[in-house]
Amino acid sequence: MASTTVEPRRPEPGPARRRGFVGWFDPRGRRLGGYAFILNRLSGIGLVVYLYMHLVILSLLVQGPGAWDAFVEIALSPPVLVFDVVLLAGMLFHGLNGIRVGLVGMGLVVSRQRALFIAAFVVAGLVTLVGALRIFGGEG
Amino acid sequence: MTETAAELRTTRFVVSRRKEGDDPGELRYDTFDVAVGPRSTILDSLVSIRRELDPTLTFRHSCFHASCGTCGMRVNGREGLACVTPVPEGGEVMVEPLGNIPVVTDLVVDMDAFYDEFDEAGRPLVRVSEMIPGAEMAEGIDELERYEDCIECGICLSACPVAGSDPRYVGPAALAAAWRLVDEPRGRDPGPVLRLMDDEQAAWRCHLAWECTEACPSGVDPAAAIMRLRRAATAARARRLFSFGGTR
Amino acid sequence: MTITRLPRQPYHVVIVGGGGTGGALAHDLILRGFRVTLVERGELTSGTTGRHHGLLHSGARYAVKDRESAVECIEEREILRRVCPGSFEENDGLFVAITDEDVAYEPLFFESCLASGIPARRVSREEALRLEPNLNPEVKMAVQVPDATMDAMRMPLRFFASAKAGGAVIRPWTLVTELLVHDRLVSGIRVRDLVNGVDDEIRGDLVVNATGPWAEQLAVMAGCDVPIRPSPGVLLAVRGRVCNMVINRLHPSGDGDIIVPQRGLSVVGTSSWVVDDPDDLGVPEDHVERMYSEGSMMVPAVRHAERRAAWSAARPLIGSRDADTGRELSRTFKCFDHRETDGVEGFVTISGGKGTTLRAMAETTADVICRKVGVEAACQTREIVTLPHTAYYAA
Repeated sequence: MASTTVEPRRPEPGPARRRGFVGWFDPRGRRLGGYAFILNRLSGIGLVVYLYMHLVILSLLVQGPGAWDAFVEIALSPPVLVFDVVLLAGMLFHGLNGIRVGLVGMGLVVSRQRALFIAAFVVAGLVTLVGALRIFGGEG
Repeated sequence: MTETAAELRTTRFVVSRRKEGDDPGELRYDTFDVAVGPRSTILDSLVSIRRELDPTLTFRHSCFHASCGTCGMRVNGREGLACVTPVPEGGEVMVEPLGNIPVVTDLVVDMDAFYDEFDEAGRPLVRVSEMIPGAEMAEGIDELERYEDCIECGICLSACPVAGSDPRYVGPAALAAAWRLVDEPRGRDPGPVLRLMDDEQAAWRCHLAWECTEACPSGVDPAAAIMRLRRAATAARARRLFSFGGTR
Repeated sequence: MTITRLPRQPYHVVIVGGGGTGGALAHDLILRGFRVTLVERGELTSGTTGRHHGLLHSGARYAVKDRESAVECIEEREILRRVCPGSFEENDGLFVAITDEDVAYEPLFFESCLASGIPARRVSREEALRLEPNLNPEVKMAVQVPDATMDAMRMPLRFFASAKAGGAVIRPWTLVTELLVHDRLVSGIRVRDLVNGVDDEIRGDLVVNATGPWAEQLAVMAGCDVPIRPSPGVLLAVRGRVCNMVINRLHPSGDGDIIVPQRGLSVVGTSSWVVDDPDDLGVPEDHVERMYSEGSMMVPAVRHAERRAAWSAARPLIGSRDADTGRELSRTFKCFDHRETDGVEGFVTISGGKGTTLRAMAETTADVICRKVGVEAACQTREIVTLPHTAYYAA
């Protein structure tokens, strides 16, 4: 009786659907932990950018009191004050969430990670609010 | 369908398609209008489409009750098991295969890639079961056992943003499996697996997005497993460091 | 355990149907030295096999009315534990008597178990409640039997993994469009590959119809007739393990009288009716309600447990066309050699049976195949340990 050899057939799979690096910042389909992840990356990048800006600005000190005073004038303008509030929020969130990431990431307080995120977010928010009031309240 | 005509509504499904020979970069979608009942699941609708509209639509399914893990897919951008995902109300429903796993055809992903990592973790299927509070064990039963929660669906891997950008990351499923072995060895030596996962592309690659745990349909909590694995790996390293020439 | 690989036979068997029976048969035939190709139109076990409640039968359920099935079950249960180690939740089961009728039924039930070779132990009301605190407090007594829980997909997948490792070609996403028949001889199948849309022919020395409730649909393609009636039943999965052991109702088979703990769920089943088309089952809500009401007779917590899923699965029942509900038909299995039944050569159907008896069904079918082609090859599937299910996906 005739019979055919049938070769095992492994269909060639197509590429995986990956969101890629850009997907790190895509909030669609994400939940609380994903938002924390996104905010941490954004605030982290923001703080790094700010750090370099800060160093550049500090270098103005080398240029003497005139240059520094000119900067301070700009620094008291409303747009920069808003930026200060954003910076404060970013610093607080990144720092407090960073404590969460540090602890949980070492396998400590793992079961409380959600509560820690909410706490970090709320505390950052409250302190930012207080800071905003002080910043805009006239104490430069 | 056993619902009355009055209970049915027509829903438009936009389903991702892929057949062998398609361009790697090509994303194709087909549109199907399906009668959906009040208790219809995504899987019910896909089965309807296959039976009545397009017999070439391929998708994995088996148990119909969130036990086999074969029907994982993305519905309107969110991962879930099609057999227990109700059809969303209002508007079109987009159905796509899981992310971060190579796509074989339509909604079928290549589980070989998933299991390659999983197998290294070498997990057993069955573990000691929790008992109903106050219960005793029956005569002849030494210990109550049950299947692990993990149903190997790949949903966690799909939801992970790190796996989304780095194909080398072993992923939450494999790491959770490794942790289960470390936590309850059941006669096996967890040492090699722990050392394997103590790696920059394994336990240390996670950035705590926690998407895996949130998306898991079976309560596995892979994110917590990864953190516990880190603790165990660190402890093992410390022991090796301070063993001064003892067993490696 | 060394595998005795017999000298390679020149015979090629084509199996249609990727359920538990097909997988177990592929494994058996490979060990006997055949070349095997298996085709399945969807995912493996996506037909009926994957959908059942996962009960690894002790056979007690059939002891009174269907002795043949009961004996098959208890024998196969022991074999499966040996060849698929670590694949089950082995917590035994309780048949619980809730009403006086149940209690009156118990002596017959108990004796039938023992007569079928099923170890059984009487359990008092107090002990039953200690073992299972969630039982209906009205429970009068119970009988402990060696029921267990299986993973309806992963256990059969072990057989596929072993068959594939042994050289079987397993082709899911491959739809049979025609049987190649000429002069009352079946020489192969015509298939459509659903991954690339290409049509092809696969020729073999023998074609096996292992399509479960679809058996008649395939047999008709060769002009053959098999008396298989698709008989679906509804199942209900609720969240939480409401019991440690499998719970059965101690009465003649009825609806909703099994609760199987499975991972983090409890599966309540089942009901029974007959249909013509196994692809169009529906999920009658009144049947689902019956699962809740009958299930909560045994474990009241079922009533308010959160529904995870409700679905239907079609049993392949062998018997006459005139069957009414399906419950009157035997749950045993049968291998039909179509040369004897229809005068068609090269074609065999295996159907009936239960998830628990997949290996036995395969052994019977492989024996028939060996007889047909004139090969002497002993079955090895009682001893050879199958590979873990993950091996199916190994590169």
